[in-house]
Amino acid sequence: MGIRLKVKNAEMGKELTLELSPDETIEDVINSAAEYWNKDSGAYIIRRGKQILKGGMKISELGILNDDVVELIPDPEGG
Amino acid sequence: MLRPGSYDDDRFDRSKRIPWLDMEALSDSRVLVVGAGALGNEVVKNLALSGVGDITIVDMDHVVLSNLNRCLFFRGHDAQQKGMKAQLVADGAKDLFPECRLTPWVGRVEDMPFPWPGFQVVLGCLDNVMARLHVNAHSYHHAVPYVDGGTDGFRGKVQVVLPPDGPCLQCGMNSSHQRILEKRFSCTGSDVSFFMPKMAAEITTTSVIAAIQVREALKILSQRPDMCIRNVLFYDGERGESMVLEMEKSEGCQNHPIM
Repeated sequence: MGIRLKVKNAEMGKELTLELSPDETIEDVINSAAEYWNKDSGAYIIRRGKQILKGGMKISELGILNDDVVELIPDPEGG
Repeated sequence: MLRPGSYDDDRFDRSKRIPWLDMEALSDSRVLVVGAGALGNEVVKNLALSGVGDITIVDMDHVVLSNLNRCLFFRGHDAQQKGMKAQLVADGAKDLFPECRLTPWVGRVEDMPFPWPGFQVVLGCLDNVMARLHVNAHSYHHAVPYVDGGTDGFRGKVQVVLPPDGPCLQCGMNSSHQRILEKRFSCTGSDVSFFMPKMAAEITTTSVIAAIQVREALKILSQRPDMCIRNVLFYDGERGESMVLEMEKSEGCQNHPIM
């Protein structure tokens, strides 16, 4: 059964709802959201509350519930 | 006997009024700054003005005109003459604080001849993920604190890496970082044979991020790592907002012993 996760776009303030399987990972969330919003190739992180979520972690391991909200944040790599 | 106004004869009088700032420790400290682009210019300026005694600066690039909107120490004639960034930043900082020992290294950080344990803190002012990972791995291995900065337009971030217990830079990375491993952002004077789109970069965000980086370094050098950011500060200059996010060590990260 899928889990609904809301992903907020830190740059645009918009929100997307993803339907995820428990085995999908945070990296899958990043890739899906970045593709949906047509993001330039760049680095991104996902935060939930005050925590950066590790890319390899599965949805099932994070205790994510339906309609939880996470945020997609660009990770600036310039200098 | 006190002479009126004598406190204004001391360059660092106002710094000494900050209770936790250890000016003697700063004067005895040796710091490595990797990258002499926009962030590197501001970081070295701040370190020199703060009284850090010894600064090594590493960069392989030369100046181009498009650097001048955000690089304090570069001038138009430096771009014309293809002046080397590390040398110019060292020269400029020497002018600000003549007592500071400045060592420029013109070359890649991977080829740097200075031993890592000789530094009390490393500041990353780089423009690509690959170099950041190199600096991160070496700093962590030698238990040297590493303060990394990054910018993109009006956005920026500062991450403080405190070995041996804290997460490192690599712990927070994912496949989106892998995909851009060798891509270089903003500052480059090196010749390229293929089109590489440039990232937005400007002085106000550069200044904010460099200021935070150096402030974190001053905390470390003053033996106050307890005051440091845990673990990453993200800055949004358009909204005037910042947030500090935590991260955990990654089990798969090769920079840490098996947990």
